Amino acid sequence: MAGISQFDPQLFVKILPSLAYGAYITVKLTSISILLGLILGTILGMGRISKNPLFFSISTSYVEFIRGTPLLVQIMIVYYGLPAIGLNLPAEPAGILALTLNSGAYIAEIIRAGIQSVPKGQMEAARSLGMTYLQSMRYVIFPQAFRNVLPALGNEFIALLKDSSLLSVIAIAELTRVGKQIYSTTFNAWTPLLGVALFYLMMTLPLSRLVNYAQRRIGGHELA
Amino acid sequence: MSLLKIIDLHKYFRENHVLKGINMEIKKGEVVVVIGPSGSGKSTLLRCINRLEEPDKGKIIIDGEIEITHPKADLNKIRQRIGMVFQQFNLFPHLTALQNITLAPIKVKKMPRDEAEALGMELLAKVGLADKAHEYPHQLSGGQQQRVAIARALAMNPEIMLFDEVTSALDPELVKEVLDVMKQLARDGMTMLVVTHEMGFAREVGDRIVFMDEGVIVEEGKPEKIFTDPQNERTRKFLSMIL
Ligand SMILES: Nc1ncnc2c1ncn2[C@@H]1O[C@H](COP(=O)(O)OP(=O)(O)OP(=O)(O)O)[C@@H](O)[C@H]1O
Ligand SMILES: [Mg+2]
Repeated sequence: MAGISQFDPQLFVKILPSLAYGAYITVKLTSISILLGLILGTILGMGRISKNPLFFSISTSYVEFIRGTPLLVQIMIVYYGLPAIGLNLPAEPAGILALTLNSGAYIAEIIRAGIQSVPKGQMEAARSLGMTYLQSMRYVIFPQAFRNVLPALGNEFIALLKDSSLLSVIAIAELTRVGKQIYSTTFNAWTPLLGVALFYLMMTLPLSRLVNYAQRRIGGHELA
Repeated sequence: MSLLKIIDLHKYFRENHVLKGINMEIKKGEVVVVIGPSGSGKSTLLRCINRLEEPDKGKIIIDGEIEITHPKADLNKIRQRIGMVFQQFNLFPHLTALQNITLAPIKVKKMPRDEAEALGMELLAKVGLADKAHEYPHQLSGGQQQRVAIARALAMNPEIMLFDEVTSALDPELVKEVLDVMKQLARDGMTMLVVTHEMGFAREVGDRIVFMDEGVIVEEGKPEKIFTDPQNERTRKFLSMIL
């Protein structure tokens, strides 16, 4: 057992395909969840600025609940809790649901800030032309809001990509889980876990670069 | 018959009684210029007319039949009949000049795109900006942006146009090009309600001047009368300050 804490290059090369597949699952689950979260977050974000008290308070309570509880607990509620009320989801859909519900709340706050970053005169100009509230939102406010929050959404994607490692607790074979499995069968910790970390970095670093680039472009552009 | 009729209009912002019983009639083709000190309620009056602000009391009637202030009024329909141009232009920055103009006709009136674009080009030509159709607002000067904003409002074919200090945010050398467009519009017979500090314009184009102060109409009349022989002390004071 001398090699327990040693890096093993041969093993590293051998496990690369498994890690790559785990990374693929991680990216897949995160991407689906962020897209669904964007839909949920857009609706909730509109709720957070709604004058309708019901819509507002439901959205606000939801966002507060999600942001005030750990993602790990949310994942376990969805996976172990929902079957108790008759909703039995396989691990992957449960994982996607949990990540969607979670990111939806964070994206809601991003969208709210984005909508509020658009000057009031834009909505007034749109309404004065006879557009409905929803038309004004869709064609005038959202395109500007979305552009303004693109970097924040990128950061949310990166955060979710890392947080998705928690899905390993419900036996989804994403990147972290794959690393853990290799560790438990080879009893070599360094090699798979270093590999896991490297794979996360290979995904997050280019993404943060992209976000920084987008931020600079948007900052340098005349919007108003 | 008057195109727009305002009856005993009141507006409060919390405790602040901003409009204190405004009565006004505007005939078709008439150009009414509203002047008055800052905070007198001129913008609020205009914004009540297309209900960007909710009046607290009173009636506004367009075309002698449609009550703008009715709780069940179809605001989206009514607003199509009332064009508005803002001090800050409020062009949509993510759309080109032409797209700014065609958006509402396409989405609200369901006008076919090519028809809307032909209309947009015609209106851009009318405000002297045919060559700027595909420029974005940030590529245009303030005066050009405001002319696009006028064209955008005209695209809905409104019966009346509201102008709220549309030259106040412009550099002095850009004021004339916007006023010229408004003059042409008046000559073409557009009904206009204009809030402005441009007294030369008021005098030349206005059929009637309305002087507002502290939420009431203090005095109104023909430009010659108001500018040369104002009856009210407050009007005299205001005019002596700005002329
Ligand atoms: N959204 C608002 N909330 C609260 N108070 C407001 C609001 N809009 C205007 N007011 C107040 O109403 C009064 C009238 O404002 P308004 O903008 O109509 O004046 P104005 O005649 O257009 O002035 P100016 O020449 O400076 O544009 C002012 O006392 C102003 O502070
Ligand atoms: Mg004003």
